[in-house]
Amino acid sequence: MIKCSDCGASQEEGALFCSECGGFLLVEEGENTAVLPFSEFADRPPPPPLTEEALTPADKPKEILLVVPSSRRRFKLVVQDKLLIGRASSDLVPEIDLTDDEGAEKGVSRLHAKIQIVQEGIMLIDLNSTNGTLLNNYRLSPNEPYPLSSGDEIRFGDLLVHLFLNTSSSD
Amino acid sequence: MDKEFEYYKILGVTSQATPDEIKAAYTSLCRQIPPEKQDKTTNPDYARLVTAYEVLSNPERRATYDSLLVETRSLELVNLQVRASRDRIKVSDTEQIIYLLVDISPATQETKQRPLNLSLVLDRSTSMQGSRLSHMKTAVELIVNKLTKADTLSIVSFSDRAEVVVPSGKVENPTAVVGQLRSVQASGGTEIFHGLQAGLKELGKADLAKYTNHLILLTDGHTYGDAEQCLALAQRVAGHNIGISAFGLGTEWNDQFLDELVAPSGGQSNFIEQPNEIIEHLQKCIQGLGTLYAQNLAIKTDIHKKVSVKYGFKLEPFSQPLALDKETLHLGNLEGRAPLSALLELKIAPHDVETRINIPIELVADIPGPQLSQQTFKHTFCLYVLSELSKEMPPDDIVEAVRVMNMYRMNEKVWQEVEAGHLDAATTRMQHLSTRLLEAGQTALAQQAQQEMARISNAGTMSLAGRKKLKYGTRALINRAKPDKEHHD
Repeated sequence: MIKCSDCGASQEEGALFCSECGGFLLVEEGENTAVLPFSEFADRPPPPPLTEEALTPADKPKEILLVVPSSRRRFKLVVQDKLLIGRASSDLVPEIDLTDDEGAEKGVSRLHAKIQIVQEGIMLIDLNSTNGTLLNNYRLSPNEPYPLSSGDEIRFGDLLVHLFLNTSSSD
Repeated sequence: MDKEFEYYKILGVTSQATPDEIKAAYTSLCRQIPPEKQDKTTNPDYARLVTAYEVLSNPERRATYDSLLVETRSLELVNLQVRASRDRIKVSDTEQIIYLLVDISPATQETKQRPLNLSLVLDRSTSMQGSRLSHMKTAVELIVNKLTKADTLSIVSFSDRAEVVVPSGKVENPTAVVGQLRSVQASGGTEIFHGLQAGLKELGKADLAKYTNHLILLTDGHTYGDAEQCLALAQRVAGHNIGISAFGLGTEWNDQFLDELVAPSGGQSNFIEQPNEIIEHLQKCIQGLGTLYAQNLAIKTDIHKKVSVKYGFKLEPFSQPLALDKETLHLGNLEGRAPLSALLELKIAPHDVETRINIPIELVADIPGPQLSQQTFKHTFCLYVLSELSKEMPPDDIVEAVRVMNMYRMNEKVWQEVEAGHLDAATTRMQHLSTRLLEAGQTALAQQAQQEMARISNAGTMSLAGRKKLKYGTRALINRAKPDKEHHD
């Protein structure tokens, strides 16, 4: 028996289309990340990253709010150590799952970036994603931490996200 | 075939010979050869005789040889090609599905044009009044003018009784036929059985063996109380080389009934939405009849104890769900110009060890030219059951054919659910179907599905027009799913 990825109905092995919803049953798990053509203005030089060695883990959790304007979705999360951003796949569901925000079409990789809380503040690290991450229109070098502050504009691929930090709980 | 291997000929027996007959033939042939010449190394004739006997006297070797013979002969008359969605399946404790695409085409391009023995059975009930009747008359006039001197035509009109408008005979004077046709007036109810019976009687006046015999029924209403009789009659005549096609005009007729009526002869049933489309549909139907290559094609469905045929759908030359009875899948006729293809869904019983399943695809057909009836053509399809499988995509054309067949079946299922009162399930399925139609670029059908979905959830039913539009609309997609090679050349 196989399961239809669209509606979850059980289908016989070898069937090509779901008898319940008509979905194609041989799709690869998850959609492939679209490769997007980027505009030139996005390729301005980024601020220097912090070295990872300089970062010491934080002992206090931080509350953050991510807003996705295109889908009007809000993620309100308490960050203990780190949280992952991307699209759910069979082996990993990131804390911030952008599948329902048209993540695949907008070029969000399954494992796109992570947000990490350290003593020095809150850091954004692009995890070598297909279409990269922009922080306030600066393209980040992959695998390097960049400090975030409240009101930052982040683009994962072509998906715009606003970040807000709750200062009251940050102390 | 090489003379060396014509074992039955060497022994001078038929392929139906019993083991005793084979032994007797061998013994008597041996007696004709002097004992000193009975040496395989020096006498090639004797060697051939011994080999032939060795093969044919051993039941197992004879069976293998017979199947080889059949496959060799099939190449000479009909091209039979079988492709599958996959040729390997996993060892599994559950049932599995594979799809087979069966393509049948004439081995030679030259097809003898056989004269047509055509009977048109036309509904003249009150509801036919006006444009339906007038378009029907125009369509028939065009057909009459296209028939050749060798063809035989009869025209029957019916309401709650039947009248022979034009008795069976050659069309010597088309103008006279058209004149007789013009006198047909609309009145009365719809009782298809009378019309069908009269039409078949007219067809039977000609020597059926010399013609391509076909009855075309055109109706716009439900038949009253005689559906069972009609179906029994269609079943009876299917074995007598008479094909039946049926066209429903407007929305008030019973599509399931017409499907069942044409099924035994593998004919076509279709929906004519507007009266002005009658001409096009009838002409297409007649064109195919003119160039028949083989008749009464059927695939044996009792193919393997662990493999069963679950569903059959004809893709070419027209799309039509196939009637599946216990032993055979009736495919209808093979036209000289167009190949016939059918999509089969096979269910494979659980297999718990690695093995190879030989699935024999046996096609039975009558080839009218050389007067060969009930010829068997065989193709053995090998399915491997393995414990390790690499992921492979099925051929694109099979995927596309299955995609649209699945949409057609979803629509059929919605109707079943509506009839059974499962309105929530029907609404959900119709919503899904609408999405799939939209994905396939079929905006008009998708909109129709949306409307029907609303109707199901609000009123608990589908509109008659919507039901037919979706049924025949999704069916037509199946036909288009296979690229028409002729158009690309």
